[in-house]
Amino acid sequence: MELKILIISMTSCSGCISTLFSLDIFPQFFEKTKIAYFPFITDEEKLDIYDIALIEGCITQESQIRLIQEVRRAAKKVYSLGSCAAFGGIINLSKKKEGEPLSNYIEVDGIIPGCPPPSSLFGNCLINLLENKMIKLSNKNQCYSCPLRDGLDYEYKTKITDLIPNNRDFNSTQNPKCFLTRGILCLGPVTREGCENKCIIRGMPCEGCLGSPSKSLYSNIYNFLSLLNLSDDLKTYKGIFYRYSKPLLIKR
Amino acid sequence: MQKIVEPCKRIENNGNIKILLKGTNIDHVEFELPEIRGFENILIKKKVHDIPRIASRICGLCHASQAIVSNKVIEDMYGITPPSQSIILRRILLIGELIKSHIMHYFFQSFPDLLKIINFYEISNPYELMQFDPQLTSSVFDLIKLGSEIDKIFGGRYVHLITCISGGVIYKPSQLNINLIRKLLQKGSSHAKYLIGNFIKLFSTKTPPISFDLPKINYLGLSNHGFYDRYKGKIVIKNYKNQLYFSEKDYQSYFNKDIGIFGVTFHQNNNIGLITGPIAREKINQISVIERIAPYFKTINENWNNSILFQNFLELIEVDHEIHQCLKLLNDDSLNKCYDLPDLGEIQKSEGIGVVEAPRGLLMHHYKIDQNESVIQAKLFIATEINIPLMNFMTLQYARNLYKKEAIDKVKKKIAQMIRAFDPCISCATH
Ligand code: SF4
Ligand code: SF4
Repeated sequence: MELKILIISMTSCSGCISTLFSLDIFPQFFEKTKIAYFPFITDEEKLDIYDIALIEGCITQESQIRLIQEVRRAAKKVYSLGSCAAFGGIINLSKKKEGEPLSNYIEVDGIIPGCPPPSSLFGNCLINLLENKMIKLSNKNQCYSCPLRDGLDYEYKTKITDLIPNNRDFNSTQNPKCFLTRGILCLGPVTREGCENKCIIRGMPCEGCLGSPSKSLYSNIYNFLSLLNLSDDLKTYKGIFYRYSKPLLIKR
Repeated sequence: MQKIVEPCKRIENNGNIKILLKGTNIDHVEFELPEIRGFENILIKKKVHDIPRIASRICGLCHASQAIVSNKVIEDMYGITPPSQSIILRRILLIGELIKSHIMHYFFQSFPDLLKIINFYEISNPYELMQFDPQLTSSVFDLIKLGSEIDKIFGGRYVHLITCISGGVIYKPSQLNINLIRKLLQKGSSHAKYLIGNFIKLFSTKTPPISFDLPKINYLGLSNHGFYDRYKGKIVIKNYKNQLYFSEKDYQSYFNKDIGIFGVTFHQNNNIGLITGPIAREKINQISVIERIAPYFKTINENWNNSILFQNFLELIEVDHEIHQCLKLLNDDSLNKCYDLPDLGEIQKSEGIGVVEAPRGLLMHHYKIDQNESVIQAKLFIATEINIPLMNFMTLQYARNLYKKEAIDKVKKKIAQMIRAFDPCISCATH
């Protein structure tokens, strides 16, 4: 029997949904399921019952809480799509606003993390959902699969002064070394793998968009923070460690 | 006074149709956006180098435009120019973004409306839509894939590109990838042709309803010495009588905005009479006269010319045109050579401005920074923000006329069609 699907956005950039349309398996996913409620492309006004709900975006308004609670009642399985929905997302860089993950209000059956979710991970998650299987995410960190890991210094001695490499580094023909040994902040050690090290292989450090590999997200990041030898400038810089997550510890 | 608020469906992200009824009259119609997310505020105190990747998150459809315009601002402040190879790559990334964005809007959001308005043919869900013309559907999926693959291969992923940095693009395409994209573009070109032919077959001889006609307005867009160019050019404000050309550096003499508040104010024109996007690009640069494209325009009943529904046809034309531009760019010798990205060096000035044309029209960023290279002010000028006053004006007129004969439920449905014809980008507008 066809699975009945709901896809909606809370406060978001629509980037996760935009990524969905780009996936190799999107046409198949479309054909094999019944996408019944998806305001991006359907006119459906009232909620019905669904096998799977994918919710993109974070919660910033009361009305959204009521809506996701309704969706929770209407859907057998509910998944947070993207890092806004899973962790709160980029809006938490704001001084005036907070975005909360869906799981602060409803029980979710799984997350498809990333900003946006990496295509292979996203595609595999959808295949699992179609086969009525759980979403499987790695619990290893970026460094585990990183091509630069040989140079990783677990004592993090180098002073970290920069957020991205200097343009000269991109011009160099030498093989790059681990960002953390070059004084560039990389969140690889505290970020889940699963993106095929997308940013790192292009020469950019990991910004942590897939979230933490373990449940204790915040303590993980704070341990890492205390280990690093950060420049004064970066110590006070807002939004390095929780760019894609609601900064629970800092605000309390 | 009775207030009706209802979500508008088949648009990018969430927005409401708000109608105020006073007795038997419609007093007010407005497209109500969800809250502003506050990116102008988020960017404050951020290091300049960090800005483009945050700015990209304003919109998952116009992400390349947002990141590239942001990099242009920074390059303006540091006084550097990316190598020609990077400029070609940026143009290609913008093309990928436009193909996907236009085709998604055309097929899933507007095409069912065109069938309904012009041909009285009802489509009630995406599955009926896909069955309407299977060849059209497969062309649509292939074109979405084409736009996506361009951005993934050259930009590192489908959405929120990794390779776009200040100073250029960190990617040197291999001949293999160039050939791959060329093949996809060649196929894409025949798909675009099919879509245009399909539009002509279905709609060209019919006349769109006059309610969708644009009033006398001004067109806002970029022009590179009279040519269609979304990466580089002067800003143009044009109407039926005259046109103004100015550099983005002088924009404050013509328009401005308050930070954190919705809306752009144009000093000389009232905003209601202004549009940016495919219609403005055509009126300003006339891609309709390009030899390869002109025959398509000849087949269209001229009553379309002044309709907001014409935007749908222009979207297809732009896709076709940009596919051809992209094929030319891929032949450029500098594409797979090695060029060094310029060092940012010292800040040259504490303020910078950059402009591009996003799929939905003019997009401009203006930042001020302090000595620590942190942003102290950010102003973002967004196409949808510029178009919404005209959209509200037209939907109000339309609703009032409809309400003389039709029940409010029908009125709501019909003004939603008009809103979709404008292709509002809510993510961008709620920046
Ligand atoms: S997770 Fe990223 S891509 Fe997805 S909606 Fe949020 S900002 Fe956009
Ligand atoms: S490298 Fe890091 S920031 Fe980049 S996609 Fe992977 S998890 Fe996200």
